[in-house]
Amino acid sequence: MLLNVDNITVHYSRLPALRGVSVTVDEGEIVCIVGPNGAGKSTTLLSISGVLNPTEGVITFDGMTINGMSPEAVARAGISQVPEGRHVFTSLNVEENLRIGTSIRKDRSEIEKDFKRVLDIFPVLAERRKQPAGKLSGGEQQMLVIGRALLTNPRIMTIDEPSLGLAPNLVDRVYETLLDLRRERGLTLLIVEQSSERALQAADRLYVLRSGEMQLEGNAADLRDGEKVRQAYFGFEEGAVHEDEVAF
Amino acid sequence: MDYAIQTAISALSFGSFYALGALGIGLLFSILRLINFAHGDFITVGGFALIVPSSAVVATLSIGGFHPALLAICIVALVVVLALISYFLVFQHVQNSSPATMMIVSFALGYTLQNVIIMIYGGRPKAVNIFSELTGRVQLSDGVSVQILQLVIIAVTWILLIALVLFLKRTRVGIQMRAAAEDFRMARMLGVNGKNVIALAFILSGGLAGIMSLLFVTQTGVLTFRMGVPIMLFFFIATVIGGMGSLVGAVVGGYAVGIVSVVLSAILPEQLRGFRDACVFILVIVVLLARPQGLVLTKAAKERV
Ligand SMILES: Nc1ncnc2c1ncn2[C@@H]1O[C@H](COP(=O)(O)OP(=O)(O)O)[C@@H](O)[C@H]1O
Ligand SMILES: [Mg+2]
Repeated sequence: MLLNVDNITVHYSRLPALRGVSVTVDEGEIVCIVGPNGAGKSTTLLSISGVLNPTEGVITFDGMTINGMSPEAVARAGISQVPEGRHVFTSLNVEENLRIGTSIRKDRSEIEKDFKRVLDIFPVLAERRKQPAGKLSGGEQQMLVIGRALLTNPRIMTIDEPSLGLAPNLVDRVYETLLDLRRERGLTLLIVEQSSERALQAADRLYVLRSGEMQLEGNAADLRDGEKVRQAYFGFEEGAVHEDEVAF
Repeated sequence: MDYAIQTAISALSFGSFYALGALGIGLLFSILRLINFAHGDFITVGGFALIVPSSAVVATLSIGGFHPALLAICIVALVVVLALISYFLVFQHVQNSSPATMMIVSFALGYTLQNVIIMIYGGRPKAVNIFSELTGRVQLSDGVSVQILQLVIIAVTWILLIALVLFLKRTRVGIQMRAAAEDFRMARMLGVNGKNVIALAFILSGGLAGIMSLLFVTQTGVLTFRMGVPIMLFFFIATVIGGMGSLVGAVVGGYAVGIVSVVLSAILPEQLRGFRDACVFILVIVVLLARPQGLVLTKAAKERV
């Protein structure tokens, strides 16, 4: 097990945003967490990245306990997050954004190779190398932050809602790229999405999170027909309440 | 015409001084959301470090008697160390608090420094002469003569500005600082060491304060324990006018405040000159009513709207 989130509880205020949530990710896997808005998906990823501190439970990465570590230490350990809303540095140009990804690395020659590789994967970034990142379109910014996270040379990449605000064809491009990365460099991925269709196709395993609690876990293949997922996603007062929010 | 040129150089020199001060404040604010009101007192401490600690009325030079280059290095280094100590001892422990809390802590630190100075040096003003050659005047043309120090202040400011720009644009650490200033959390998630970046901001800010100690004491020739307070007020106003969080804004704001002050002194009728600062503040209020975000808008400020 590469990443083991074991029974964590996380508070923003008095009420917990996560209650006893567990997630595991094996080396080379693509794991997806889906759940409605406010379920606690981002909270889970931010806890893994050391931005939030669980009040209970442990998070281990490759056997090492990482909860309580600083975000930069977690990044150094090999977990790179592409957070919700992408967070490009808009006042830095494309190249500088990518260079920030290499902050933790010392292997100069390897960095340059990886840098070229990222520009090969995302040719549009090469074209716009010297442009302010704020000027890029949403799809290009998504490519940029994935490229930036790749440059930390992570063992696992966590991505929070990569399809947010992107046109369907761009969403497909993003997922193709992610699948390529897994195939070509064995990248392990933990992806968070609100709607599960695209995620179900890409994932090996799926978790459904709702109201801060894990509702369902299973092999994506077993969950393809969607009925169980729908139940877990909406809870008992199914359908009517949120049907419009999410497209299955 | 000659008078206009002299006034212009004087305005640029004042503006440069305020720009340096505003930059010192802006560097910390952009990364930490800290408005460091102790910045002025850092400048004061740098000034007092020139003389032998004692409450005697007549000051004896200590560092102030060193060879000029060594003197400058020592004072700047001392203020940098002071800034770093205040980070590790004080600000580090409140860096996750609200900006208001941090600001109040900085006031407390400032008052503490002032009182330490009173304890060691007494409360009376002391005369100090350093770099006295610079207070002489040069003849630029027939009718125009300016104080050498004014030209030095302008030159030093521009050298520092260019160095800072090169640092922020060209070096790895500089780019990390810009990233951290825009989105501290994201930078840390990518492995940028938050503590190092903040410490570096304190080093740069302290370095600027140290250089300003030298310029200011050379100019006034007097040390008082409160001498940092009024200038700090102007630095603060300059950063606010320029737009909190933008370094370009800090420089623009500094020049705006400096130039307006000098021009007002030059054009206000004799009876109103005593109210020059009041006039400056009125202009500040007008600017802020028209542009509450300051003259230069940053992305961070836009997001907060
Ligand atoms: N910064 C915050 N402060 C307080 N509560 C928060 C904060 N961020 C999220 N929450 C709350 O925590 C819960 C989970 O949020 P989040 O993890 O963002 O959900 P998701 O990413 O699944 O939409 C929600 O109820 C949300 O309102
Ligand atoms: Mg979210």
